[in-house]
Amino acid sequence: MGTSIILAVHDPLPGLVRALGATLPALHGPVIPALVCLAAAALLLLLEGREGAGAMEIASLLVLLPLAGVVATAPHVEAAWPALAVALVVAVLARHREDLLHSECGIKLLWVMGGALALSWGGLELLAISTGTRVLAEQWAVLRLDLESSIGWSTALSLSLLVGVVMLGGAPFHFWPADLFQGARPWLAPLAVAGIQVCGAGWLLSRVDGIEQFPAGQRIVYSLLGTAAWVALVAGGVTLMVQRRPERRVGTLASLNGALMLASLAAPHRDAIGAGTRDIPLALWAGHLALALAGAATLSRFAAVSAGAPSAGPVLFRRHPWSGILGLYAVFSLAAVPGTPGARLWLGVARDLVSAGRVGLLLALAVAWLASFGAAIRQLHEAFGVVTPAAPPGRPVAWQPRAAMWLTGAVLVWMALSGIAGASR
Amino acid sequence: MIDSRAHSALSPSVAVGPVTGAPASARTARPGARVAGAVLCTAGLALLCLRSLLGAALGLEAVAMAFWVWARAAEDAEAQAPRWAWLRRPAAALWLAVAIHAVWPWLSHGPGPFRDGMLAPLRWLEAAAVVWAGLELLAGLPLARPYSDLPGPLLVMRPWLPVMLPAAGFIVLWRQSPHWLGLSPLRHTATVLLLVTAVLGALRAFARRQWTASLRWLTISDSALAGVLVAARVVPERSSLLLWLGACGGHALLLMGELRGASPRRGPFITRLWRAASWTTLAALSWPMMIALTSGKRGVAWAAFFAIGALPVCLNAWVTVGRMVAAPERRKMVRAGAALKLTRLAPLAVLAAGPVALLIAWWGGFEPPWRDSAAALVPAGLGGMAALAVRQTRARPVWQALRGLGRGMPAFAGAAFQAVIGIERRLVALGDGLVRAVASPLHDLHSGDAQEYLLFVVGLGVLALVLPLLQ
Repeated sequence: MGTSIILAVHDPLPGLVRALGATLPALHGPVIPALVCLAAAALLLLLEGREGAGAMEIASLLVLLPLAGVVATAPHVEAAWPALAVALVVAVLARHREDLLHSECGIKLLWVMGGALALSWGGLELLAISTGTRVLAEQWAVLRLDLESSIGWSTALSLSLLVGVVMLGGAPFHFWPADLFQGARPWLAPLAVAGIQVCGAGWLLSRVDGIEQFPAGQRIVYSLLGTAAWVALVAGGVTLMVQRRPERRVGTLASLNGALMLASLAAPHRDAIGAGTRDIPLALWAGHLALALAGAATLSRFAAVSAGAPSAGPVLFRRHPWSGILGLYAVFSLAAVPGTPGARLWLGVARDLVSAGRVGLLLALAVAWLASFGAAIRQLHEAFGVVTPAAPPGRPVAWQPRAAMWLTGAVLVWMALSGIAGASR
Repeated sequence: MIDSRAHSALSPSVAVGPVTGAPASARTARPGARVAGAVLCTAGLALLCLRSLLGAALGLEAVAMAFWVWARAAEDAEAQAPRWAWLRRPAAALWLAVAIHAVWPWLSHGPGPFRDGMLAPLRWLEAAAVVWAGLELLAGLPLARPYSDLPGPLLVMRPWLPVMLPAAGFIVLWRQSPHWLGLSPLRHTATVLLLVTAVLGALRAFARRQWTASLRWLTISDSALAGVLVAARVVPERSSLLLWLGACGGHALLLMGELRGASPRRGPFITRLWRAASWTTLAALSWPMMIALTSGKRGVAWAAFFAIGALPVCLNAWVTVGRMVAAPERRKMVRAGAALKLTRLAPLAVLAAGPVALLIAWWGGFEPPWRDSAAALVPAGLGGMAALAVRQTRARPVWQALRGLGRGMPAFAGAAFQAVIGIERRLVALGDGLVRAVASPLHDLHSGDAQEYLLFVVGLGVLALVLPLLQ
């Protein structure tokens, strides 16, 4: 604290930010973000309850608990969890069968995740057959003996990674997060998307655990993940440039954050490879993703669809600009605008890519970052619109979504400040 | 694709969409927007003057934000907001440069062979991003070149607001020069683009009949010529800044005075003083610039470079000297005030800027051969002398005949400018069309049907099988 005060005296503005950050407890784990995300979902569910939904609807909050649990325990995702998370989300979506958008989202998720899970499980079985064991460390040891042709194990290895890539939502599978944000209820979409993406990241991490012992396999894995990350970043960035619906923009930003994790997995630090350890901030990524998605998704329900000519801003920004600004902060963090916790994550991955010498992937990351930065600023411009002398609409925005945006925005600011303080330490 | 029928889980109070009820004419720029924009713009320009790349990016973002704040509150906001949206591009370019620095803090800027191995593209990208930002603000890229012909978004400052942008462009190029001067191909490309900009700016200034419009284009041409000086590195940094301040600042002050009752032209003495000051600084700026362009060249190459450099200098001198006409003072007594004092003192400062800058340059080692110097001073001298001759010898028949011949020249210059802009626009549209043509089939590949999702998984599964085999 004393050091921070000295810094604040010598270097006023950055020092003040660091001093402020030093007074706050560090926020690196995903537990608090998951709880806040849950609270935001509860607030939005309350709003739905006020509009005539029954007690069963309110009880839907219970189904979000496991999804929040997946986010909260981010570094420890078990192999069976992805299937359970997908099944849970599909079941919740299917429950509102009278809602066509919900049903459509449920069917799409079932198709894509079901197929991917089947292929990946097939890959796992193939690996088990070719090595004679289901224990991952033993599988690498057996494969290292080079007893059979590489076609069998390389095929099995690639297939086993498939569901992780699909669940992370990287292009060409970037449509499912966007569909969920557009089609699913506001209280469900953020945690559903974050939960599935965290499961995907966890799946991939668990599949590449200890692969350093098997260099041939490691090369293939990094090559596959690198290709997937490159495609996901470039295609996601290009998609973001042409998207007009704010909900879909948030979905594509979620997809780009998934691609970021793919890039992180594809960029082992040179020192880390040697030591056999990896330093992937999955917990930080998961907490930030859930939190930013909750804030951005709530905001997106109040933002206007891009039109050709600029128009007056939506009700939220004309009546409650500060709530809107906090919602925008979540969008900015997803887009990694400098000064947000998201930017710190993107910068960390970019540094890993430089250390690994993966310039192609780094350039793709730059393209995606510029596209998402531009989309965030565009969102800001559209949100505030042009000035009009007409009085804002009389009916205010309900307090529940505003409270949700304040909650998520405040914790994101906390995360940013504690990150800056941590970095300076 | 999901059905676009929106389901509103929230209340009708969250309904969104265009709700502009009032006619555009009823809108006025609110004082809040005016002040907020001014604060952002001032802070932005101050940040641009810092050596830090992060400061420059923040500064440019603040300037872009200021234009947006003014545009959204303008009477014709629907036209102004999209018109100035391009300002985000240079800001984004500088952010990219900042990001590259943050990712790779050991990036070296020294000249010579790269020691960065496979990361060398990052160095190129960073330099290109800085040059892009500076050039686009200087109207040096074909994307937003004619912005100076369009009125700015803030009513009270409309005519001179676009003057701020070339100034910002020069400051970016000058202040961030260590990031791009080390890469010779990029430096040469920037020089060519700056020369083209200077020529186009001079043509446009010559073509416009309105003195204020000409002044706006003169500031662009001056800034581009000063940018060439920065790229050439023939004089120290401080000299190039002072030369730019004299040339571009002089024209900006003239514009400011012109909008406040044409004060720099009220009376023959002050008009002559401003004319002499502008001409002198232009000559001082063109001297090292022309030497840098022609040094080490012989024969046709020398002549070509000399002609390219001389054209904008000559035209600028002609416009500066020839178009500044003394305005009759209709007031019986001129009210003394700060503005009047500034109008009288400013030309002295402008007049001194050029020689002082050249003195600093000489102190720093700028000692060109006298023949080169004489040749370098010819365009500025010729342009100004010709303008003076036409002005002061109107009665003679030979000058009358020449004036008759030259009457069509502004129209010709305007047509040449429009032709170049037209070609550039067509080329940009062609590139845009090509991108769309490539992207359109990719977009159509996916119709959004649920079944296609499964096909995607199968496709990726096949890819996962094939990729390892290709390793």
